[in-house]
Amino acid sequence: MANVAETLGEVVERDRILPPASLHLPDHLTPAAVVYPATEAELSAIMACAWENSWRVIPCGSGSKLSWGGVGSGVDLIVSTARLDQVIDHAVGDMTLTAQAGAKLADLAPRLAQHNQFLAVDPAYPEQATLGGIVATADTGSLRQRYGGLRDLLIGISFVRFDGAIAKAGGRVVKNVAGYDLMKLLTGSYGSLGIISQLTFRLYPGQDASKTVVVTGAVGEMEALLSALRLSPLTPAALDILSPALANRLGYEGFALIARFQSIAPGVDEQVESLLAMVGPALSAQVLQGAEDEQVWAEVGAALFPMFEEQNEAIVAKVGLPPAKAVTWLDQLPSGSLARIHGGSGIGTVRLAAATADMVKELRRGCTINQGYFTLLEAPLSLKKSVDVWGYSGNALGVMKAIKAQFDPHNCLSPGRFVGGL
Amino acid sequence: MTVAERSRIDWVPIIDAFSVALGSDRVVRRKEEILVYECDGLTSYRQRPAVVVLPKTTEQVAAVVKICDRFQVPFVARGAGTGLSGGALPIADSVLIVTATMNQILSVDLDNQRVVVQPGVINNWVTQAVSGAGFYYAPDPSSQSVCSVGGNVAENSGGVHCLKYGVTTNHVLGLKVVLPTGDIVTLGGEVAETPGYDLCGLFVGSEGTLGIATEITLRILKAPQSIQVLLADFTSVEAAGAAVSAITSAGIIPAGMEMMDNFSLNAVEDVVATNCYPRDAAAILLIEIDGLPAEVTATGDRIADLCRQNGARTITIATEAEERLRLWKGRKAAFAAMGKLSPDYYVQDGVIPRTQLPYVLKEIEALGDKHGYRVANVFHAGDGNLHPLILYDNAIPGQLEQVEDLGGDILKLCVRVGGSISGEHGIGADKRCYMPDMFSPTDLETMGWVRQALDPDLLANPTKLLPSPRTCGEAAHSIAAVTLPNVEHF
Ligand SMILES: Cc1cc2nc3c(=O)[nH]c(=O)nc-3n(C[C@H](O)[C@H](O)[C@H](O)COP(=O)(O)OP(=O)(O)OC[C@H]3O[C@@H](n4cnc5c(N)ncnc54)[C@H](O)[C@@H]3O)c2cc1C
Ligand SMILES: Cc1cc2nc3c(=O)[nH]c(=O)nc-3n(C[C@H](O)[C@H](O)[C@H](O)COP(=O)(O)OP(=O)(O)OC[C@H]3O[C@@H](n4cnc5c(N)ncnc54)[C@H](O)[C@@H]3O)c2cc1C
Repeated sequence: MANVAETLGEVVERDRILPPASLHLPDHLTPAAVVYPATEAELSAIMACAWENSWRVIPCGSGSKLSWGGVGSGVDLIVSTARLDQVIDHAVGDMTLTAQAGAKLADLAPRLAQHNQFLAVDPAYPEQATLGGIVATADTGSLRQRYGGLRDLLIGISFVRFDGAIAKAGGRVVKNVAGYDLMKLLTGSYGSLGIISQLTFRLYPGQDASKTVVVTGAVGEMEALLSALRLSPLTPAALDILSPALANRLGYEGFALIARFQSIAPGVDEQVESLLAMVGPALSAQVLQGAEDEQVWAEVGAALFPMFEEQNEAIVAKVGLPPAKAVTWLDQLPSGSLARIHGGSGIGTVRLAAATADMVKELRRGCTINQGYFTLLEAPLSLKKSVDVWGYSGNALGVMKAIKAQFDPHNCLSPGRFVGGL
Repeated sequence: MTVAERSRIDWVPIIDAFSVALGSDRVVRRKEEILVYECDGLTSYRQRPAVVVLPKTTEQVAAVVKICDRFQVPFVARGAGTGLSGGALPIADSVLIVTATMNQILSVDLDNQRVVVQPGVINNWVTQAVSGAGFYYAPDPSSQSVCSVGGNVAENSGGVHCLKYGVTTNHVLGLKVVLPTGDIVTLGGEVAETPGYDLCGLFVGSEGTLGIATEITLRILKAPQSIQVLLADFTSVEAAGAAVSAITSAGIIPAGMEMMDNFSLNAVEDVVATNCYPRDAAAILLIEIDGLPAEVTATGDRIADLCRQNGARTITIATEAEERLRLWKGRKAAFAAMGKLSPDYYVQDGVIPRTQLPYVLKEIEALGDKHGYRVANVFHAGDGNLHPLILYDNAIPGQLEQVEDLGGDILKLCVRVGGSISGEHGIGADKRCYMPDMFSPTDLETMGWVRQALDPDLLANPTKLLPSPRTCGEAAHSIAAVTLPNVEHF
């Protein structure tokens, strides 16, 4: 496949094509080349070329969440959207942002902040994450509590199809029901249906004031508090429950509940007071503000997704549970597990220093008996090969296969990396 | 029925099969009983289906769809029939599957804030079922006392409280669906973001073209402690539009923010006589905010200031439930009021970027003048979702066509300023020929792939949502992919 680069050279400028070593790739991905289109038209030409040559293509942004998801069945070409990083339109008055898929969240944030607006996502590795990668992995964190998932923020999409044609859906307005919702279809599709080239999101206004309440204590009291909180009219912007090991990383004892309130100042104070009034004597509470209020959330993210891998054997999984089951599930984890569950949605992340296939199955069973799920993101290759990575337990795989067959008839887009070997 | 239209299908064995599957009392064939199913809320289009069936369970829906598949006859789902885009308009020689009698609330789980319903459950029954415990179901279309949750799911319906809390799709966690093949699948689940493609998200808003939802898992919300409604009146539409922008720019997202123009507020005063909308105002804004008491009070003060800074003449604030309802009453009755003022009215549904409001309203007025009709504007100002109401008389030959032309011009205007041809009523039969104004042939072909994947024989509501060359002419020619040879006969 050495001629991949050569063939591509007839379609795009040579300087767009780099050797695989230019990316930090997991060992099992051995493409012949990596290509960095600088325009949507180049991306389209590359995909048309790949199609003609039956190359297997994996899209990426910055490139290292590539180890997430299934192992796959090989790759000839990696297409990076890293140079497709332009903001197309920040419609300030309409509070929408249209940008290319390779734009980095970290680069956009200051620009949006100038207008007191922000894109309400807090993914893993926020410094590197590109919009395309965030959408393709549906990766956001604690902000889900108030702002929902990627699916709730994305209002328009353009993507390059397997044949190089550019398709779009949705639009640039916040309310729109014209046509099928391909935004939802592409969100969380891990590069298996097309290469996302452009995205439009709804934005939210920055908030005047912010405070975080940290409550710590034993499992029973924590469960009761959480249940009371869910039934209360309080509206935290973020609400997470942390396993004892994760709480310990932040310097706390026992289970921790961290709730962030953001609003106008009197609103924040009112909510903080109400929460403190709910905290019984067996729990202890602390209010964080200013830099501390910011820092605690960043520290949780950094503990779950460390920039430098501490243990090569570590596994990271995305879990989903009915919210009322979250604390019990956390309590059954092996001690030392770093885990966080979002209180409202029951979606969370767990990180173990190491795990066997049997452990994964056991942890997954704990989720599925409660109608939840357990999906491996990071894991050593050997483990990924010995267990199902995704943990899809439903009966709609046939529909997913039919969709994949339409969007990728020759099975060239991230082949084998998605649910059910798609 | 003319000879040319007469059925080419032998319905006898099909109806026998339905009777076996459902019992003959759930299979409706008599002309006078079928009459009520001839149209949905878009009453200007009518078509009699060959037969109407009234299943009670998922299994019965599956049995009916399997029979349709076996005999290769198209079917159309219908909930309460309040849709405004002809989504539930029957197709000639089709089976109409009415979910109205699938009306059970199957489970309520307050701790996890979920309710599971059958599709025929009426929207506001959900809130009624959980309000005692302090919860509610947020999406609240004005038709909420009559429309079904199944219809809401199919149209991805919105309502006045969707500005802050989102539309139907943001509140549906899972679906049990009978696919066009008759297979039963679960999409999504108890928890959001189940592994795999977001098929639940894809299904919501698919207008009955991907199958029939037979169980729906909804997310419910805790009712806010305190609610305030502000009514502000303005002497120019521009000023009201500027106030809307100022409020959003200040970082405030009200639960709802609605605007009515002079024509519509007078219509409402004539008919409903709320005595709270000043008749000489060029426009009024109704703004609802909710939350904890201190927050609501402070936010209300700030909104009132912003309205005044942008030229509001008077501001009325209501906090007590009765007062709030009084302020909302006129807005909620706006469509009905138009119905009383004129023999017929045509509701358009388009979306524009919020900042284009003043320009678009002027253009709509000019378009109305050009076509010789008055247009009343009632709309969800916070998210730029317009509902121009055009008054006309269907008894006068030619008026409907003229009004449809005007409606079409308004849609094209919405697209031209960067908006959409539908914010919440759907494409249905009514707007599919405008799809090429908004989407390229490639876009439409790609959407066609979704349909091919789920409904390869094109039996589920086949003449809706996507355009076809036959009905929409040249513009749709390049998307022949959605019209398979075997659907030539309808
Ligand atoms: C365990 C781990 C450790 C890491 N450590 C470091 C570190 O120490 N230093 C550092 O700088 N970075 C590190 N990273 C990298 C960091 O994760 C990524 O750079 C960052 O998260 C951004 O991801 P991305 O947007 O580039 O998506 P990618 O990682 O490129 O892609 C994520 C997924 O989305 C798909 N995808 C991406 N773009 C598109 C698109 N346009 N269309 C369709 N599908 C698309 C891909 O196919 C892939 O499946 C690490 C990552 C992991 C997982
Ligand atoms: C006075 C009035 C006010 C309105 N106000 C609003 C408003 O504020 N906001 C708004 O969004 N809409 C509004 N509507 C439009 C309408 O009420 C909504 O579209 C509603 O969701 C339709 O529900 P229904 O049960 O009547 O569906 P129907 O009209 O019966 O069907 C609508 C579509 O859904 C499909 N369908 C129905 N049930 C199912 C099912 N179980 N599975 C799959 N497909 C199905 C049908 O095939 C059809 O395509 C209003 C209508 C009226 C008449």
